[in-house]
Amino acid sequence: MAPGMGLPYGLQAMLKEGHKHFAGVDEAVVRNIEACKNLAQIVRTSLGPNGMNKMVINHLERLFVTSDASTIVTELEVNHPAAKLLVHAAKAQEAEIGDGTNLVLTLGGELMANAEGLLRDGLHTAEIADGYAKAAAKALEVLESLVLDGTKEIDIRNRELVAARIKGAISSKINGYEDMLAKLVADACIEVMPKNPVNFNVDNVRVVKIPGGGLPDSSVIKGMVLRRDTEGTVKSAADAKVAVYSQGVDTSSTDTKGTVLIRNAEELENYSKTEESKLEEYIKAIADAGVKVVVSGSAIGEMAMHFIEKYGMMALRIPSKFELLRLCKATGATARSTFGAPSPEELGFAKHIGTQEIGGAICVVLQQDASLGAISTVVLRGSTEGFLDDVERAVNDGVNAVKSLGRDARVVPGGGAAELEMSRQLGEWGKKLTGLEQYAIKKFAEAFEVVPRTLAENSGLNATDVVSALVAAHAQGQAKVGVDIETGVPRDLAQDNITDLFSTKWWAVKLAADAAVTVLRVDQIIMSKQAGGPKPRGPGGDDD
Amino acid sequence: MMPGFGMQPQIILLKEGTDTSQGKAQLISNINACMAVVDTVRTTLGPRGMDKLIYNDRGQVTISNDGATIMKLLEIVHPAAKSLVDVSLAQDAEVGDGTTSVVILAGEFLKEAKPFVEEGVHPRSIIKAFRIASQLAVQKVRDLSVSLEGKSDEEKRSLLKKCAMTTLNSKLVSGEKEFFAQMVVDAVSKLDPHTLDLKMIGIKKVTGGGLRDSFLVDGVAFKKTFSYAGFEQQPKSFVNPKILLLNIELELKAEKENAEIRLDDPAMYQSIVDAEWNIIYDKLAKCVASGASIVLSRLAIGDLATQYFADRGIFCAGRVEAGDIDRVQKATGARTQTTVNNLDVTALGTCERFEEKQVGAERYNLFMGCPQARTATIVLRGGSEQFIDEADRSLHDAIMIVRRALKHAEVVPGGGAIEMEVSKALREVALTHTSKSQLFIKAYAKALEVIPRQLCNNAGFDATDVLNQLRQKHAVADGSGRNIGVDVNTGGVVDTYAAFVWEPSLVKINALQSATEAACLILSVDETVRNPKSEVPDAMSGAGAAAAMGGGRGRGRGGMGGRGGRGMRR
Repeated sequence: MAPGMGLPYGLQAMLKEGHKHFAGVDEAVVRNIEACKNLAQIVRTSLGPNGMNKMVINHLERLFVTSDASTIVTELEVNHPAAKLLVHAAKAQEAEIGDGTNLVLTLGGELMANAEGLLRDGLHTAEIADGYAKAAAKALEVLESLVLDGTKEIDIRNRELVAARIKGAISSKINGYEDMLAKLVADACIEVMPKNPVNFNVDNVRVVKIPGGGLPDSSVIKGMVLRRDTEGTVKSAADAKVAVYSQGVDTSSTDTKGTVLIRNAEELENYSKTEESKLEEYIKAIADAGVKVVVSGSAIGEMAMHFIEKYGMMALRIPSKFELLRLCKATGATARSTFGAPSPEELGFAKHIGTQEIGGAICVVLQQDASLGAISTVVLRGSTEGFLDDVERAVNDGVNAVKSLGRDARVVPGGGAAELEMSRQLGEWGKKLTGLEQYAIKKFAEAFEVVPRTLAENSGLNATDVVSALVAAHAQGQAKVGVDIETGVPRDLAQDNITDLFSTKWWAVKLAADAAVTVLRVDQIIMSKQAGGPKPRGPGGDDD
Repeated sequence: MMPGFGMQPQIILLKEGTDTSQGKAQLISNINACMAVVDTVRTTLGPRGMDKLIYNDRGQVTISNDGATIMKLLEIVHPAAKSLVDVSLAQDAEVGDGTTSVVILAGEFLKEAKPFVEEGVHPRSIIKAFRIASQLAVQKVRDLSVSLEGKSDEEKRSLLKKCAMTTLNSKLVSGEKEFFAQMVVDAVSKLDPHTLDLKMIGIKKVTGGGLRDSFLVDGVAFKKTFSYAGFEQQPKSFVNPKILLLNIELELKAEKENAEIRLDDPAMYQSIVDAEWNIIYDKLAKCVASGASIVLSRLAIGDLATQYFADRGIFCAGRVEAGDIDRVQKATGARTQTTVNNLDVTALGTCERFEEKQVGAERYNLFMGCPQARTATIVLRGGSEQFIDEADRSLHDAIMIVRRALKHAEVVPGGGAIEMEVSKALREVALTHTSKSQLFIKAYAKALEVIPRQLCNNAGFDATDVLNQLRQKHAVADGSGRNIGVDVNTGGVVDTYAAFVWEPSLVKINALQSATEAACLILSVDETVRNPKSEVPDAMSGAGAAAAMGGGRGRGRGGMGGRGGRGMRR
């Protein structure tokens, strides 16, 4: 036990009762390392195309079945402060690239684990942290030299090329369907690719999940798909002007409670008539403005519906604010918050809008010319909700990969080849350094081996054999050789288009190293007493 | 753990109360849970399948043979087993039938995979092989299916009837399958061939009478709504009537809730009362002026209006259900009006014949011979409420099947014949694989045999005996036995294609795909983490649901090595 525990002096006396306080290598650093290692261990088995899924039930009883590391750590509700740092690093990766979160966690965990050995050998944490920081900088340098020739430029509109580049990102989530999904994603993205690919907006690629059928039945629809039917009998419109109302389309009523005062019989008789004719006037004005499609953010009154029908307009209700916003964006309409005839500049335009049956569900599909804010939708089919959710995450990763492609198209060899080569070169470089950081650099280099090892382990191969064969191959100068998860034999996977985006790797290595260094530099943990609140449930009270 | 750590308090990584389990044991327990669910629906498969009576906490009783219905009512809470419910419901939505088959297949795939997992095979290897096998199987089904395209309409109809009969075979109404199959085919052929909108077939249930008293209305039928005095004086049958559909109340009532009348002069009072009458009379007059002879409204039609209409020889019905109004609208071409002002003649619909008819203890309004007759109504009769409910579900399945068969006019022989043939083909393919996948593809092939086996078991035959006969027939080199399936009537085998036991190939393809996907999903999970539920006022994920799962509570927990370092501490 550390000295001072339980005695009322020092920190203990200074702080409020109930706080927790850990200091020193054994208590704080090793403890943090342990937590990070455990976290990495959970997600590690999900790395790579053969990674396993996790079933996570979150606090709202929602079930996730996924191998997407960012989803797993989000839903895991990690509590430990040091492990949280690692989670933040993964989140940063998710925000920056949208893929490769598992690499951050696994590599970060491995770096910590290796640091533990160094600590045991008597190195000071500062020395390890310094060595790691240096090694990280060098590793990124090495990574840059590993970029495959001729990958810097890419025709971002070439479906085959794009599909080949993003296959890696998708295959790590949904193995077996990556070719098909990569093509779908490529199609969808190219559809909405702006002139300058840097401005590619991932929001323009939507995903709609319709249960039923099989994944091979999935398709890309050019336009926006809304999973609902139109309100009235008009089911399609072409070259239509669109009026969007964020509020309901109905006779306006006041929020303040008011009473209509009727003084004589005539007024009573005309009361509803005037209301009707007023509404008709409004709707006629809308129709006169050339509007063919009326979109409402909330209810469409029955009376209003009647007149909309009468004037042969299509009525669409979109309760989701976000969907409404996207529709506005897609059509170029401005949502009116009050009911009434829209001004010409508020009107949107739809090339074609109509209902379409997709796998038993009636959907409204909005199609637009590319010049008018294109949106494309990937319609996913599959047997279970959980599976569809997972495919959706894979598609999102793919779309993010396309975005990164637009910015930086460089790729490095996949299948752990890049990591192993970094490991080799780093190791050699480290040997030339004098000073204690040499040890740390060596360990940093070793940590990279976790990637090929995990890939092999997750594929049911003998990891030690695979890694040693790889190390041997790299030592002979075959820098592009990685793990073939089918056979376990070292092979140049770049030939089969198994590559990783350079930017994904670069950020992953950087973020993992940063997180590791940050955690290592902590030598004290002080946790104040938790504020009161509902008592946590005891183990017996769990309804499970 | 590292030496020197023993004294440290354990490290908390996750929130307190989080329940995690991982590794092989977790996977096995997930499989076990799924198997338990499968066992409950297993016995419902096939024409000799038994029904389940499900009694829920609100005291409602459901007797059903439909896989999807049972799975839905079981309220399964186990996360892994839930995915079986999903596949069943997806199958229901996509093709409408084969909901039991899909669950049984998924369960059997898992059962076959279980020994491999126990032996330490990496689940990924199994998944990969299963996916290959599923693609091969689907291809095989496609190859074996017989297209109905190019046949004459007459022929097609009789073929569709066969498909409907195969579906109805396994249901409660199997005794009257021919009668109902004809009815279903007739109903579906009434629909718009482009959309085949299911909502356009109404099924009305009237207790009493026999199954054979059920009939098909070429148009819309709905139960007579509540009516006021004067209703009986209205004519009850029309030829080529004009139909007006309304969405307003034809009743004396306040015009608007928030309107208030203030009078200074008591003499004015009478004028206000008159005005109210004027308003309603005005509305009624407008209805009559439109030339309509039938007035239907979604809202109430009061006694004043009823008598007014009766005096003028008009039929009216208030508080008609929205779905019925909708179908009348579609069938007659009328447009629902929310106001009677400026009534347009084009808003009126028409049909050949309208009448009110006594069906059992109920009176029904029938609209027949509609010009745009894209709709049909089946009036179901039968003994008890539960019985009719089940008949309703059976017909729904049959309608779905016919719809699907119309869209994808390809059928395969039923009675387990197609499964046996695919199984045989897969076994042959398996032998060409040199790696581990050989074993797994074989296992997949074996799992397919569960369908004929279960058919036999449910019919009370010796499954092993029949299965061996089937294997022998299918193994004959010249392919003469490829349509041989289980004969549930005699307990032998029969050429099910010749016996007209047909199923749309889409049902089989979808079942194979979904079942494989579900099995692979469960196999691919290597860790379950359950976060503590956030505080909900009434935590009722309930013991009832747990009980419904039978002995299937098997989330692997504890006892797994290598986890010692991650305990709980706060």
